Amino acid sequence: MKYWNPYLETLPRKELDRIEFSYFKSILSYAKAHSLLYREKLKDITPNDMKTFDDIKKIPLTDKEELRRYQDIDPYPYGGILGVDIQEVTTFRQTSGTTGKPVYVPETYESWQWRIEAWCHILYMAGFRPHHRVFLPFGYNVYVAFWEAHYASEKLGCELIPGGALDTKGRIHKIIETRANAMMNTPTYGLHIAGEAKNMDINPKSLGIERMLCAGEPMPEATRKRLEDLFGCHVFDHIGGTEPCGWGGMCEEKQGLHIIEPFFLVEILDRETLSRDVEEGETGVVVVTPLGRRSFPLIRFNTKDLVVKGKDSCLCGRTSKKIKEVVGRTDDLRKIRGVLFSPKTVEELIRNEFQEIVEYEIVVERKGMMDDITIRTEVAPDFSGKEIDQVKVRLRENLKVKTNLSFHVQMEPPGSLPRYTLKAKRFKDMREIEKK
Amino acid sequence: MIEKMRKEIETIEESTLRLKTLAQDNPAIQKNADAILTFIYLLKFITPDQGNSS
Repeated sequence: MKYWNPYLETLPRKELDRIEFSYFKSILSYAKAHSLLYREKLKDITPNDMKTFDDIKKIPLTDKEELRRYQDIDPYPYGGILGVDIQEVTTFRQTSGTTGKPVYVPETYESWQWRIEAWCHILYMAGFRPHHRVFLPFGYNVYVAFWEAHYASEKLGCELIPGGALDTKGRIHKIIETRANAMMNTPTYGLHIAGEAKNMDINPKSLGIERMLCAGEPMPEATRKRLEDLFGCHVFDHIGGTEPCGWGGMCEEKQGLHIIEPFFLVEILDRETLSRDVEEGETGVVVVTPLGRRSFPLIRFNTKDLVVKGKDSCLCGRTSKKIKEVVGRTDDLRKIRGVLFSPKTVEELIRNEFQEIVEYEIVVERKGMMDDITIRTEVAPDFSGKEIDQVKVRLRENLKVKTNLSFHVQMEPPGSLPRYTLKAKRFKDMREIEKK
Repeated sequence: MIEKMRKEIETIEESTLRLKTLAQDNPAIQKNADAILTFIYLLKFITPDQGNSS
């Protein structure tokens, strides 16, 4: 079977729109009745004001800061974002806290199953099937993505191998021991496993991984292809977040990401005004409404994810809307010496053209009146002397062309830069730290 | 076909609610019936009403 839900995944656009609009009105009505946040925020708006899809734009966006504010009140720890009686909550999860105080996410048995059902679409379209033995190389802790992956794999009928509480070498041994043939990881950690396997004289291809689903970080196409080359397997991306759930996945065509409809109403809005739907090929900010989750109703959540809108047809036959590419986050965009800079440009360049670079870190500092940008890099141990000097020159030149910025290139000894298992933090803007 | 499925789902829902009423003194049956109702909610979500769902 090609589709997880053949009925929903091939519905005509008009019918999907009708269903989503109807679900939107239902969840809006539910949120106003059960969530303090929305009772106060939307006191002047009723579901009956929603006559057409365009009326949705009248509802103000919700952002993370509001969620933080409303969870400062009772009942602890969820406060006014809660959409059910606190007695119904069965699991605590939280955001990573990368951008400030974490948001605590209440899950009920129902909301969790709803979330898992949405995730089944992501896994199924990436080709995960019951014959897959899926290795999850993380201790999941309170972070939701790998719990979703765990339970959705189980629901699909895959066999799950939780790989927490092991170091990377131990995980590689466990993959070999169990003959795992699928994996879910951050792109960074996938690269790290491949590197560590090579250090152990193991060809990553010999691990027998057939499918890899990546999570946690934007993955440029160059990184996805690099992982495919290293492991000799199919690599898929997906997109989501702790607050709205996983809301988009990649099908076998590997041409952008499908929005999981009608579970989520996803709007891609212009960066300047956040009020206009962008056109195909244009970059915009993602605003998501999960349409059936009641434990934590979320209406028009500004994810701050930046994506390029794709075309709404796919050779796979799914009729859902698509995004062409994940660009990054509005939080990650910085002005450096007056130039708009996205760290993803560097990630793309390095994975595409500098396979000898195994790790890197970008540091921006304020020196006097000027911004100063340095890239610290580690080259694979089998490179030395003149070769490293050549890499240094080529990297500086390529970075200048790609970013319009002059970087200092600093070579570091092997193993000296931090390695990441979850979200990589390769971009350090010291100007913000200095301000604080 | 979806309409027929939807009808079956509603039948299961009614039956589960009757079961819950019968099992008021039995937390195990209550809880398992609640689990069925969770999946009823999901099944309804993935088999939307045909045109009269608003």
